[in-house]
Amino acid sequence: MIKITNLEKFYRTEEVETIALNKLSIEIATGEFVAIMGPSGCGKSTLLNILGMLDDPDEGSYIFNEIEVAHFTERKRADLRKHNIGFVFQSFNLIDELTVFENVELPLIYTGVPASERVKRVEEVLDKMQIMHRRNHYPQQLSGGQQQRVAIARAVVNKPKLILADEPTGNLDSTNGNDVMELLTDLNEQGTTIIMVTHSEHDARYSHRIIRLLDGQAVVENIMV
Amino acid sequence: MFKNFIKIAWRNLWRHKSFTLINISGLAIGMASAALILFWIQNELSYDQFHENKSRLYVAYNRAVFDGKLWCWNTTPKILGKTLKQDYPAVEETARTTQSNFLFTIGDKHLNLPGYFTDPGFLTMFSFPLIKGNPKTALTTVNSLVITEKTAIKLFGNEDPMGKVVRIDSVDNFTVTGVMKDLPNNTRFDFEYLMPWSYLKKTGGDDTYWGNNSVQTWVLAKPNITEEALNKQVINVTKSHSDQKDDEVFMHPASKWHLYSKFENGKIVGGKIGSVRLFGIIALFILLIACINFMNLSTARSERRAREVGIRKVVGAQKGSLIAQFLGESILLAFIAGIIAIVIVQVSLPSFNQLTQKQLYIPFNSIYFWLAGLSFVLFTGLVAGSYPAFFLSSFRPVSVLKGTFKAANALVTPRKLLVVTQFTFAIVLIICTVIIHNQMRYAQNRDLGYKKNNLVYTMMSGSIDKNYKMIRSELISSGAAVSVTKTSAPMTEGWSDSWGFDWKGKDQSQKIDFNVFNADGDFVKTMGLHIVAGRDIDIATYPTDSTAMILNEAAVKIIGFKNPVGQIIKNGNNKPCTVVGVVQDFILQSPYQPVKPMIIQGPKSWFNVIHYKLNPNNSTADNLKRAEGVFKKFNSEYPYEYHFVDEEYAKKFNDEQQVGTLASLFAGLTIFISCLGLFGLAAYMAQNRQKEISVRKVLGASVSNLTGLLSKEFLTLVIISFIIASPIAWYGMYTWLKSYPYHVSIEIWVFLLAGILTVIVALGTVSFQSIKAALTNPIKSLRNE
Ligand SMILES: Nc1ncnc2c1ncn2[C@@H]1O[C@H](COP(=O)(O)OP(=O)(O)OP(=O)(O)O)[C@@H](O)[C@H]1O
Ligand SMILES: [Mg+2]
Repeated sequence: MIKITNLEKFYRTEEVETIALNKLSIEIATGEFVAIMGPSGCGKSTLLNILGMLDDPDEGSYIFNEIEVAHFTERKRADLRKHNIGFVFQSFNLIDELTVFENVELPLIYTGVPASERVKRVEEVLDKMQIMHRRNHYPQQLSGGQQQRVAIARAVVNKPKLILADEPTGNLDSTNGNDVMELLTDLNEQGTTIIMVTHSEHDARYSHRIIRLLDGQAVVENIMV
Repeated sequence: MFKNFIKIAWRNLWRHKSFTLINISGLAIGMASAALILFWIQNELSYDQFHENKSRLYVAYNRAVFDGKLWCWNTTPKILGKTLKQDYPAVEETARTTQSNFLFTIGDKHLNLPGYFTDPGFLTMFSFPLIKGNPKTALTTVNSLVITEKTAIKLFGNEDPMGKVVRIDSVDNFTVTGVMKDLPNNTRFDFEYLMPWSYLKKTGGDDTYWGNNSVQTWVLAKPNITEEALNKQVINVTKSHSDQKDDEVFMHPASKWHLYSKFENGKIVGGKIGSVRLFGIIALFILLIACINFMNLSTARSERRAREVGIRKVVGAQKGSLIAQFLGESILLAFIAGIIAIVIVQVSLPSFNQLTQKQLYIPFNSIYFWLAGLSFVLFTGLVAGSYPAFFLSSFRPVSVLKGTFKAANALVTPRKLLVVTQFTFAIVLIICTVIIHNQMRYAQNRDLGYKKNNLVYTMMSGSIDKNYKMIRSELISSGAAVSVTKTSAPMTEGWSDSWGFDWKGKDQSQKIDFNVFNADGDFVKTMGLHIVAGRDIDIATYPTDSTAMILNEAAVKIIGFKNPVGQIIKNGNNKPCTVVGVVQDFILQSPYQPVKPMIIQGPKSWFNVIHYKLNPNNSTADNLKRAEGVFKKFNSEYPYEYHFVDEEYAKKFNDEQQVGTLASLFAGLTIFISCLGLFGLAAYMAQNRQKEISVRKVLGASVSNLTGLLSKEFLTLVIISFIIASPIAWYGMYTWLKSYPYHVSIEIWVFLLAGILTVIVALGTVSFQSIKAALTNPIKSLRNE
């Protein structure tokens, strides 16, 4: 599904140039559950953003579903993204002005799903995430675990082929964290590819494979048994 | 999608009520001010543009050289209109007009009404439609009368006025032959009725003398005759019919009557168009300032909305849909502001009308008004929303979501620029307002040369002239007045001027124009003038004073008399008159102009007005009551009417007062709107820097340290604005003052005052937020991280 070769990403400020990704090459197959680990600042988030087409690489190739996307325009990337990729963040990133229902509905609006269909699909996902009873609440009225479930609901409502999660349990206690990991595992079992950045060895154990990064390079790949 | 936009827009506005309030009220006030000004401009531009024949309508002007300058004036000989119509093929129709003022009597109802004498052509040349009667014939018989609807109701109530008989000045009966639709609010004509010229002729008021310029002549050119062609034909009409060998005639077209009516040395130099342009610019700037507020507040707040933009992009929003969303929000805001603006305009129109002496109204029935209003709102919404829309939608989701996006400073460069623009304009307006008021006070305080308080005049209507001697003595014996004089015109108006005087040693190649005033006696005493040489006219003591003359100092100077008293001056009829006294110059006409040379002729001349100095020992009400008794006794048919000279004199400042009041009003509004924006900006900045403030406070910064830190930046902007505004204001006022020969000088304190005032207001606005932020308990914001 994903093949990156010799991917490079630099950040330039006035004084220094940081190499966030250094000739990184990785391949991920459809249906995999991959964890990315490594010390702070090694380039995990940068990699995830590029994979999610929120950012573009400086050098190298990125083939997504057999299409070279490294130099796509913003418009084309947005198009590809909204049909194929769902995101889950550490800090949930829900819109404060929208209710739970409306937050989850948002991706469907942007992909032009008709209204009646939207209601059906949002309710279905909220049911699955067990937050149906909170559908008319605003994010500030929810606990962290509930907010993350809404964020996951939003990530999957469009039935994406790939879910990218950047430290999804980072702001949660262990019970809520485990719930989230269970949800991701379920999704993976139903066929969704998942790439997750995490600092927790415990969470990483839910995955099939761990890619360890150091200074923008993949150093080890552990295959989980 | 659209519903979703509206819903979110609405919720966003509602959640941030104070932001919405500041933004909408600023925009609404800006729009309302601009709308008021635009209504006013529209009214000015539409003056007499509704006549179907407007492209062919002209008013005749004379032009001739006096004192080495080419002068233009639009009073003409009575014979001109008739001559033009008869002998000049380019002219299709003409109509003369001259004022009339008659007492109308119906049964026991008496009304004093102003109107015009005019030719029958008036009704067909101009588009003043008759509701009843035939415009072709309504003024063709001698005793016919056309009245306006309003006058019809005054005279006859709800009865049909057609064919009704009105008695005029108890001498003649007139029959109503037409009822005219009331005059619109955008015409230079002002009358309650029209009377046929033939009546004026019958009663001896017509003449064929080419040297008597006393009426206005309106001309309708034949179709396809250009202004140039017409002027070429008529230029020599006076020369070829009389011995006025250097008077030329030219035509002033209807399109320029109202806006371009000021002539200097024979050329049009402007007129009302100056005010129209000035206020047009002001309207534009006020709207711009309101939009700037809107942009500034929206973008400042948008930084707090960056996360929303990032998330929307992550879940699939295209840039276009985000732009649409933010534009939608700003158009919604503008729309709400537009509705509030209509309410504001409606509520403030009565006062605005009073201020501008107009009858403006919101044309709710006009589709153009709604179309214009809607495009106005859309335009404002688009202009105000475009910057935030494009600015916000270009956020990169990665940086926003990662938190590297810095929203720390509410004052980024473009926003600084906008704030400076706002305050520059506000400061310019303040400086101009102060200087305009200074100039007015300066002119108002100018020494009049006579004493205007307690001085009253009454026009000599009906039998006043006949009974003058008795009225005069009874006014004094009743205790109402201490002194009475009869004059040719009110003390505040120059009704007559002439270059027909002659004296020994006059340079005959030069035309010298004098203001002409007549007085029978006690003139100096009644008016409180200062005698410089000789004495007042006094026919009781000096029987030869019937042809006496008084000069003012300006006249003595231009004539060049060493010993003016006793000199002989021949008047226009070649009668020798003796100068008996010289008075100090006094202001007859414009308080902004130097006093013109003036000749006051003795009792053997014509009179229109009685002036009397009220008795200082009685109350004014008491004096007026006694005076009314006297006038009622000797002029019983006419209502007693009087004017205070000081009130009439105050009217000379109306125009400047109007400009001054409007300027202060709009200066105030501009400052208010600007500060509203500053208030909002400061609030955002304080919010965004709350964490920084907390950390500083924990580390030991005092409240005043912090307030200073937050206010400093804004203060710098206001000072920059002041530096830019000063030369602009100086240049504008320098140009304005140049048009007044008698004017103040521009002083430095005005600038300092405006600068300090603005700094204080701006500082007050900003420090409210700064102090609030500085006082917040640091734990609160640090815990929120
Ligand atoms: N916008 C940026 N400008 C400059 N340097 C950046 C920027 N974003 C990231 N970097 C640098 O790139 C490198 C990789 O950053 P990245 O955020 O990918 O690390 P990470 O592995 O996700 O770390 P963490 O586990 O702390 O989230 C770091 O050295 C960081 O300082
Ligand atoms: Mg990271």
